[in-house]
Amino acid sequence: MIDQFLRVIDQVQGAIFEAAIQPVLYQFGLMDWAEDVFDGVGVALFGALALALAYLLFRPLELWRPVEHWAERRAVRTDVVYTLVHKLGIVPALMFVVLTPIGAMIDGYLRFQGYIPPALEQLLPALRDWPFATFLAYIVVLDLGEYWRHRLQHRLPWWWALHSLHHDQRQMTLWSDDRNHLLDDMLATVWSGTLALLIGVAPAEFPLVVIAFRVIESLSHANVRLGFGRLGSPLLVGPQYHRVHHAVEHARAPFDRARGCNFAVILPVWDIVFGTWHPARHPANRDEPGFPPTGVAGLADAATSCGFVRHQLEGFRRLWAALAPFVDRRRPGFVAAFSRE
Amino acid sequence: MSRTAKSALSCRLAPLLLAAVLVVAVLIVAGTAPMAFAKGAIVLNSDDDSLSLIDTATYKETSRSYIGRAPHHLMKTPDGKSLIVALAEGNELAFIDLATGLVKQRIAASDPYQIGFSPDGKWFVANSLRLDRIDIYNAANYQLVHRLPAWTMPSHIGFSPDSLTVYVTLQGTDELTAIDLASGKPKWTVHVGPQPAGVLVRPSGTILAAIMGTDHFVEVAPQDGHIIRSVETGRGCHNFLLSPDGKTLYVTNRVAGTISALDAGTLAVTRTMVAPGGPDDMALTPDGKELWATARWQASIDVIDLAAGSLKTTIPVGRSPHGIFVH
Repeated sequence: MIDQFLRVIDQVQGAIFEAAIQPVLYQFGLMDWAEDVFDGVGVALFGALALALAYLLFRPLELWRPVEHWAERRAVRTDVVYTLVHKLGIVPALMFVVLTPIGAMIDGYLRFQGYIPPALEQLLPALRDWPFATFLAYIVVLDLGEYWRHRLQHRLPWWWALHSLHHDQRQMTLWSDDRNHLLDDMLATVWSGTLALLIGVAPAEFPLVVIAFRVIESLSHANVRLGFGRLGSPLLVGPQYHRVHHAVEHARAPFDRARGCNFAVILPVWDIVFGTWHPARHPANRDEPGFPPTGVAGLADAATSCGFVRHQLEGFRRLWAALAPFVDRRRPGFVAAFSRE
Repeated sequence: MSRTAKSALSCRLAPLLLAAVLVVAVLIVAGTAPMAFAKGAIVLNSDDDSLSLIDTATYKETSRSYIGRAPHHLMKTPDGKSLIVALAEGNELAFIDLATGLVKQRIAASDPYQIGFSPDGKWFVANSLRLDRIDIYNAANYQLVHRLPAWTMPSHIGFSPDSLTVYVTLQGTDELTAIDLASGKPKWTVHVGPQPAGVLVRPSGTILAAIMGTDHFVEVAPQDGHIIRSVETGRGCHNFLLSPDGKTLYVTNRVAGTISALDAGTLAVTRTMVAPGGPDDMALTPDGKELWATARWQASIDVIDLAAGSLKTTIPVGRSPHGIFVH
């Protein structure tokens, strides 16, 4: 059944590539990129599949048990655009074109110095005969990497200036996962590329599991009154767990040490281990709302509910505001520039 | 127990629970048993890191197992005892015992993509298309002898009959380069046409280079690389296979979706056969009756009946099948 399903995807990928893309590559003398573009079509197809699954599974949940009701959903439309440009491969293609040559240059230089990135199963030979275990080991290590990237996004003022775009959504839905500034996407790609230089790349044998994790990331942003309970919450990031991370309360400066919490992307164990776990209803504060409102305190103007292009420009403005104090000490900086609600 | 204490306990238990879930998942899903290795076809599925075994009598895939990251090409070692599989993203060469089908050795190697042994079996060359580099190894012990920058996208490999020179197509710069194996120094580099791919050296020593961005291949002189002639086959002319008797040359045309058969002596096209799905690497069955080609874009193998000159069947395999070996 699963094999047949994957087979259909393969056929569609091939049909799209051969009918619409390969002729163009041939016409314009770009056949040396045929394999990469073919893989790109696969990325877009699997992205579309993840998107369809997330919508079919979680939109009914959002309608059934929403945390918030909104009369006006214009701000959500921007996140739909974000999702489409990411999941359908446009942003990944942009990252590939911009960053792959640089990555290859660095990687190539290291090879000439005798450095070959080790794979996890070379570091842990016991994994060698267990491909799925190897794959899971990569998921765990990469998720740990994502946890620390996320903490730095909140900890470093200039990075928070960019990442605040992801957080300034007051109408968080299943579409909000990809709401990121393009520069932030670029940093994420550099981050994962650096990890690949350290531990190699994960096996590609389990595409449906990768899709499952992407769907989970959509669920964690969904506007749904759903928690995984006392047993489930420490195992997998869910909507309630991640909503607490997105709470207006926790988005205030200084973000990390005092208030930031629940940074994990898939596995909450990292929050537990590194002391940033925050249960939805903390035992010390029973009055805390279990499903708090989301957003960044002090950021609720048109710049947070605008369209895709204006939102991107807003990201550059915030980044500049964060960097300006380095140029002129009298400038307030991004963090100090907006008021608290 | 207070709520705070319970919460702290669940914090401590969470990693254990997580570990338990992972272990159960591993036990349920994981693991690949050693494959049986009957005579048949072996296909590398480059986009899902697996190796397919196919029964050449029934045209059925009998097993598919994990082999390592991005397996693209494979070939027999000079001693004929092993298959060497180049795992580009895995940064290693896997040696499969042809008798048992078991991986008996893995050797670290930097991004091996295309691979080749010199005719005398002394040199082993591995190209990194992604990192613009050619590695020349001592084939006796796989110790690196020369590592050369190759700008850009070094692709297919061919050797001079005297095993002194390796020829490599440079897809990014539309060139063919000749490198002295002993010194690692380039002898000449010439422009041959857009996105050159396959290389085949004829017994006379002239070099054939498939020009993928066009519908033809060129024949190049080994002394200085000048183009002697070009031969039209089909759009996306990509790769070569010479029949064991040396009489027939097969050429894949990946855009046209065809395979051309040529008289290997005159280079005249004798037949054009349909091979859908972007035909790439080829292999002949031991009886010489069938030509098998990996169809990269359709995740399948095209089997061509050479007597009829037509497609006999297609066999579904893994994603983006590339290297193929039939024994």
